Amino acid sequence: MNQIGPIFRALLRNKVGALLLALQIALTMTIIVNAIHMIENRSSMMARESGMDEANQFHLMYVGYKDSFNERVAVETDLLEIRKLNGVVDATQINSTPLSGGGWSMGLTTTPNSQDGTPVSLYFVDDHGLNTLGVELVAGENFSPTEVTYRLSNDKQWPQNILLTEAAAKNLFPDLTPAEIIGQTVFIRDDEPMTIKGIIDHLQAPWVQWSNVNNVMLVPQRGLWNANRYLVRTEPGERDRLMREVEELLLAKRDGRLIRNVTAMDEQRDDAYQDFFALQTVLWVIVTVLTLVTALGIVGMVSFTVNQRRKQIGTRRALGATKGDIMRQFMLENLLITSSGLIIGVASSIALNIWLVDTFSLPRIGWHYLPIAMVVLVIVGQLAVLGPARKAANLSPALATRTT
Amino acid sequence: MLKMTSVRKTFRTDTIETHALRNFDLQVEEGDFVAVTGPSGSGKTTFLNVAGLLETFDEGDYQLDGKSVQGMNDRQLAQLRNEKIGFIFQSFNLLPDLNLFDNVDVPLRYRGFNSAERKQRIEQALETVGLANRMGHYPAQLSGGQQQRVAIARALAGSPRFLLADEPTGNLDSNMASGVLDLLSEINAQGTTIIMVTHDPSLAQRAQRNIFVRDGQVTEVQTGTNIQELLQQTAQV
Ligand SMILES: Nc1ncnc2c1ncn2[C@@H]1O[C@H](COP(=O)(O)OP(=O)(O)O)[C@@H](O)[C@H]1O
Ligand SMILES: [Mg+2]
Repeated sequence: MNQIGPIFRALLRNKVGALLLALQIALTMTIIVNAIHMIENRSSMMARESGMDEANQFHLMYVGYKDSFNERVAVETDLLEIRKLNGVVDATQINSTPLSGGGWSMGLTTTPNSQDGTPVSLYFVDDHGLNTLGVELVAGENFSPTEVTYRLSNDKQWPQNILLTEAAAKNLFPDLTPAEIIGQTVFIRDDEPMTIKGIIDHLQAPWVQWSNVNNVMLVPQRGLWNANRYLVRTEPGERDRLMREVEELLLAKRDGRLIRNVTAMDEQRDDAYQDFFALQTVLWVIVTVLTLVTALGIVGMVSFTVNQRRKQIGTRRALGATKGDIMRQFMLENLLITSSGLIIGVASSIALNIWLVDTFSLPRIGWHYLPIAMVVLVIVGQLAVLGPARKAANLSPALATRTT
Repeated sequence: MLKMTSVRKTFRTDTIETHALRNFDLQVEEGDFVAVTGPSGSGKTTFLNVAGLLETFDEGDYQLDGKSVQGMNDRQLAQLRNEKIGFIFQSFNLLPDLNLFDNVDVPLRYRGFNSAERKQRIEQALETVGLANRMGHYPAQLSGGQQQRVAIARALAGSPRFLLADEPTGNLDSNMASGVLDLLSEINAQGTTIIMVTHDPSLAQRAQRNIFVRDGQVTEVQTGTNIQELLQQTAQV
């Protein structure tokens, strides 16, 4: 380290080259810090629980195409028969599911006739909904079989009782405990009150990027429109067999309908996060390529410098430098350049993050990214210098007299 | 002090072998001022490089300060160069990005002296060559003669026993050359052994000993010998 003073002073005499390399390192740091931040952000989004028993669930759509198709008869008999199948835990009709990307949302308010409620997504289920979804009650009660009603596609009526996720309930009543929220009244943009009958632990809305993804309301209704969906929960290991069996069961009725989109829940999870995964892959490629390009830039720059300074290196050797001294000189020089790049990089990483937060409402960067990126880039820089520095160290001391 | 016995050095490329030193015998005593002359390509620089431990040799024996240098590792050789030998080059070899102070400091830092000792030595060395008032200047701001004096200060700062100079005045006009030689004579008078390669017979005459290198072999010549004549004879051979 006793060489650091002169090395630093010499660098200041050659500011432009050093500065360009430092800026490249700053840029690399800025981009990789923010890219890895985005990668991790997506990973944590992908790690969120849907609230369901995904490994043991599937759903399918049925579409009645004949006039003779009777939606009400179908849903009543279908569910009874599906629930009786060997290996089925439970089944319900449901309009949409978490991770599906399509569904309903409404605004809930605590006072009648007010605008701008708390956004919640809606799932229409019957009294088997909780068991089929695999969610737990935190407070209150499940729907009773008798309160499940039928809903036509143009209905504006809402039933007496609803269930909410804890997140949605907390949004509406921030000051109350779950037990206190039971029995409270909420409204959907009219003066018709609904009573919160129960609170479930957790269930996601259909849209994975929705900021209110944890706000869900369960409504005790079966839909009488001619295209609808069943969700089936099975015993572990029985799902794939039952996907075929349930489809065959429904088709065998020959009652004028099509069966479509028989989908396992974990397959649906993969689909839901496909874009995230693609983005992560692209970002990783960018991080890797950028790091490599920076490393190669350092190799090229240092090799060039070594070549330019052959006589100086020979002279230093003549004056008593060991091979190690020469190596250390180039490593230290690179450390100084890299460090100044990284100091600029901290500022620009934060600046880019602030812009990303403002523009794309990405979360703020975790401070721990900065030291980690700095350490990684210092190591990359030092490794990149190693080759050219060793070459410099192996130059003959005789270059002091042999070069002009 | 410095003793070479039957030293051989051959450069090999794919096509040719050059016998740069063959049976090179030389003994230099403490306090000598030896001027080395000889035709171009005769092996003078090779001899100086071997003497200064910048280059290895193939055969023979070389003792520096009574110790054979054969078999020493890089670290030991670097340490000997650093502590016992001062180098002066034809093209000065100052480090262009360092000011005079930092240039003279280079060997002292490798030596591991503390900063107070370095500072004192640097100032004294620059004082000796008359450039103490230019410590913050950069080499490019100096004339050739001044640059060579800085190089001499750098070579002296570590108090070496030997000063090796390869055509130290080769890039200087005769006025500056004479000044540099005055300086070297003064340094020699204070006890430092000097070996200087030169092609200038008048400068060689100012040394206490003259040797003449021809075809990688050395001949002792009387100081004051007409070296110009020797060179011409060689050319005729
Ligand atoms: N690195 C080298 N590779 C091949 N030949 C060399 C090398 N260095 C010197 N020589 C050859 O060795 C001979 C002696 O060179 P040198 O000692 O530089 O002579 P001088 O200094 O007397 O002019 C010359 O023929 C030169 O071409
Ligand atoms: Mg020469």
